[in-house]
Amino acid sequence: MINKVTTLTEAVKLVREGDTLALGGMTLYRRPVAFVRELIRQGTGDLTLLAFTASFASDLLVGAGLVSRVRSCYFGMEAFGLAPMFTKLATAGEVKVIEETEASIAFGLRATLAGVGFMPGQGWLETDLLKVRPDVRLVDDPYSDRRYVAFPAIKPDVAVIHARLADPYGNAVLGGNLAVDWELTMSSDRVIITAERVVDKLEERADIVGLRVTAVVEAPGGAKPTSCYPDYPLDSAEILRYVETCAGGGFAEYLTEFTNNSD
Amino acid sequence: MTDYTVDELICVCIARQIEDGEVVAQGIATPLVAAGYILAKLTHAPNVAFVSAIGNSICYNWAPLSLSRVEEIWLGRATHILSFAEIAGAVLPTFSPKEFFRPAQVDPYGNFNNIVIGDYQAPRLRLPGCGGIADVTAFSSRIYLYVPRHERRAFVERLDFRSGIGFLSGEGEEERRQRGVTSPGPRYLVSDLGQFDYAHGRMRLISCHPGVSIEEIQAQTGFPLEIAPDLHETPPPTAEEVRLLREEIDPLGIRELETLSGARRRRKLREIIEREQFTILNSQFVRQMRDTVRQSLTGSSKKAH
Repeated sequence: MINKVTTLTEAVKLVREGDTLALGGMTLYRRPVAFVRELIRQGTGDLTLLAFTASFASDLLVGAGLVSRVRSCYFGMEAFGLAPMFTKLATAGEVKVIEETEASIAFGLRATLAGVGFMPGQGWLETDLLKVRPDVRLVDDPYSDRRYVAFPAIKPDVAVIHARLADPYGNAVLGGNLAVDWELTMSSDRVIITAERVVDKLEERADIVGLRVTAVVEAPGGAKPTSCYPDYPLDSAEILRYVETCAGGGFAEYLTEFTNNSD
Repeated sequence: MTDYTVDELICVCIARQIEDGEVVAQGIATPLVAAGYILAKLTHAPNVAFVSAIGNSICYNWAPLSLSRVEEIWLGRATHILSFAEIAGAVLPTFSPKEFFRPAQVDPYGNFNNIVIGDYQAPRLRLPGCGGIADVTAFSSRIYLYVPRHERRAFVERLDFRSGIGFLSGEGEEERRQRGVTSPGPRYLVSDLGQFDYAHGRMRLISCHPGVSIEEIQAQTGFPLEIAPDLHETPPPTAEEVRLLREEIDPLGIRELETLSGARRRRKLREIIEREQFTILNSQFVRQMRDTVRQSLTGSSKKAH
């Protein structure tokens, strides 16, 4: 096995302008926040952001102006309300939304994993999503008279997953909240694992297999203020501070403080 | 007469729609629904199984609602954990769990919108998105709706965008099936003013909440309401239901967030965070004290030997 341990600075260089960047985790849980901080410092832009559900970390990337297109089934702050910068910029048309749902992302990744161009599903029929996603077509079931939506394959350029534990080869333990991280690591060209701790040998069975992993970075507290269950909970007070700061027009100050933070 | 709030009434209405042994799903940021499901489990439906979007798990257990430690419920107490690709690709299509969705806009036929307000190309407001609503409403036989604030801007004659499937334009089941929609349509809707069904494929008022008139509900609804012949008053929460919600299920009052917005919501959030922090510190203190007492006891018993 190959030792893939590197620094955050080097790992971020694996992201290139114009890439489709997938962020692991769910909403406010186990998001690669330390990675996002370094990405904002380096300023790699024109990204297509793919996040099964998007929240705090994604909102910072959008607000920092690095995201041209968003692919997500939910972009918000859960109980904390709307995601301030996404709501503002998407409403103004300054960031383009490629409409997705749970199934279109899950099936799209599964199509890539199966090596096929699409995966059929029962969703989307008779919704306006088909009107605003003309690239998504219908397919006839060859075995019955039913018709399905052919969710196109999704292949991210880079996926970044924050894990509880990883070994130097990229095998990683997620801690329960699996999101679609296994599917992301298996379908992306480049995969970066940031982990609370990098250990020589995992004592637990891995959720993520290192075979597809490009780089491993130790980043203690790397999901904060989002949670890394069961190591630390969501920092609700910080999420609320972000929402309140943005409500008062203070996003730029928040971003400066966030990127200057050495964590 | 039990004293109760409107969020508690909505939770109770949700709980009463749950049957024992059902599989129930809850989405993102839906504490009224989570509280209602747990209330059902603690009263008439002890065998419900929860499918949680937070944690991607199947869970028979429950814990009080939490803001910061929600994963301790749905992951820490889970019986089975899956990836969300398995939830979307297998669990939802297989179980067709009962789920309460919260539309931003809903039309008379129970179609609904969670994508944008205004014209899609130049919206007045971009919304968070529809999660898996456009997927499951095409096939689910257990679609339920709730609207915490019954206002004309939520109940509209025409949607700005259709991302959740109801009865389309009122077509029958066979015609919908031919168009690929196998769901029989939404069953029920509860708001802060009343309860509704879709007996004829169109929203129909079946009960007014205590103290609310038909006229008041009609005035807050952007289309003419059908009214059930056996219209009645919503049975209010019992003292025990209110006690369970306040003391056991949601002592922090997280359920109230869904009825608030803007600065009032942020104020309530601050209050919840402070109370949650206090509760956690308090329980850590109690645990430490207990451990100290235990250690001193075992220490003294060792000495005795």
